[in-house]
Amino acid sequence: MADDKDVLRDVWFGRIPTCFTLNQDETTEREAEPYYLLLPRVSYLTLVTDKVKKHFLKVMKPEDVGEMWFEYEGTPLKWHYPIGVLFDLHASNTVLPWTITVHFKNFPDRDLLHCPSNSVIEAHFMSSIKEADALKHKSQVINDMQKKDHKQLWMGLQNDKFDQFWAMNRKLMEYSTEDGGFRYIPFRIYQTMSDRPFIQKLFRPVSPEGNAHTLSDLLKEMYPAAIPNEGEQKRYQVVIHGIEPLLETPLQWLSEHLSHPDNFLHICIIPTPSD
Amino acid sequence: MSSCVLEEETFHRCCQLLLQQSDQLRDGWSWEPVQGSQEGYLKKTVLRSAVINLDPMWDNKRASSDSGPDQQGKGKEQPVLVASVDADSNIGDINDDDYEDDGVYMVSEGCRQVLQYEYHILYSCSYSTPVLYFRVSSLDGRGLSLEEVWSSVHPNFRLRLQKSPLNAITQQEHPLLGQPFFMLHPCRTEEFMKPVLQVVQDKHRPFNYILTWLSVMGPVVGLDIPLKYASEIHLATSFSSTDPD
Repeated sequence: MADDKDVLRDVWFGRIPTCFTLNQDETTEREAEPYYLLLPRVSYLTLVTDKVKKHFLKVMKPEDVGEMWFEYEGTPLKWHYPIGVLFDLHASNTVLPWTITVHFKNFPDRDLLHCPSNSVIEAHFMSSIKEADALKHKSQVINDMQKKDHKQLWMGLQNDKFDQFWAMNRKLMEYSTEDGGFRYIPFRIYQTMSDRPFIQKLFRPVSPEGNAHTLSDLLKEMYPAAIPNEGEQKRYQVVIHGIEPLLETPLQWLSEHLSHPDNFLHICIIPTPSD
Repeated sequence: MSSCVLEEETFHRCCQLLLQQSDQLRDGWSWEPVQGSQEGYLKKTVLRSAVINLDPMWDNKRASSDSGPDQQGKGKEQPVLVASVDADSNIGDINDDDYEDDGVYMVSEGCRQVLQYEYHILYSCSYSTPVLYFRVSSLDGRGLSLEEVWSSVHPNFRLRLQKSPLNAITQQEHPLLGQPFFMLHPCRTEEFMKPVLQVVQDKHRPFNYILTWLSVMGPVVGLDIPLKYASEIHLATSFSSTDPD
């Protein structure tokens, strides 16, 4: 059970100051001012940028407006990753505010999923929660919930209602004391150094001998290069929600407290900045 | 109880057997490894003539609510149909009279063209099932939108899919390539494989999970599995799901 409420709140209310600017190649009727926004780390770009869209549409002709998409320093941003993951992965060692470029044409079909409406975000979000529960409880908890319960999870995220979301989400975080944790930990490890978007495999929170697995145990198996050898300089940062948790932190605790609302623990591995 | 799930090892074995048969039948499946790991996926590319409705009928209904002027064509900025949990509202009114018995899609705006279908079979460790990913492009390389793909799905399948939105086609990131693909959601796979597996186990029939599964999933998105997989090859792999008894 998740009982460390302060941590849950800090995670939920994490914000990234962001400056949106319009792509220079867009056809405008007059110059577009940049738009500033505090982005919730746990939400999705396309869910919280209605105002950004409205702002730029003011200077554009309707016929020049296609599906909106975002880019940071040449990389199209995948709206279906949580905002905090995008920031940690692509921009964590840059100066704030995070400068995102907004596009309304040349949608990069080969890189990005289309997001024509919030119901697509909802479907994606719920599908992640379901997958996570398949891993944690063989889907038993999510299947026992009613449709209105599923809706409550989504509405909680959409309307930024911490209490509404967690009143339901706590059920997804339960496990029996004899098990000592979930069946498997829903996690994804992201890095920008290869074409493969992320690593996702089966990993249990407790070893066969009954010891709690730590973040370090997970990385040793999934991404050994992320753990520095003795006496060696640290090559990578292991980042969750913008911080580097101690590698000795039990994985079960991380899963309960530092997972995103989609119930996955998103871990970013980024090269240590050489300054 | 655990008989319905597919272990990753079994998945790989089934894939190997399918590849052997495919080679003999010249059916065109290949194994695409992911560099630096044992993982990978089965892949097949097919050219197929299909009727694609560039201006789907449901768009006409929605045009009033969704910024109308974008008439024909690209379709990529158009609203997605299903993909959502409350898709029920989109179903229903597809008129059966529009189709002939042999399933030819009789919508006037549709145009027949040759398309390239690329199918991938991956393993989902979360659901312990295979998952079918695919993408479709025209011969000039343009990728088809979700709406266009939907319009190419056989009407009978479309109705069935839309009634169970979670089984529907959605656009998803390919977990190994990181590119947008369409996917048939795996979360019900165990459910529909159960009765088949029951029969197989009761009668001790040889069977290949992937083939049986593919014979259910494939036709929905235009991927037909030659019967020869079942009839010609008498390895310990022939599949039995079509057996009437």
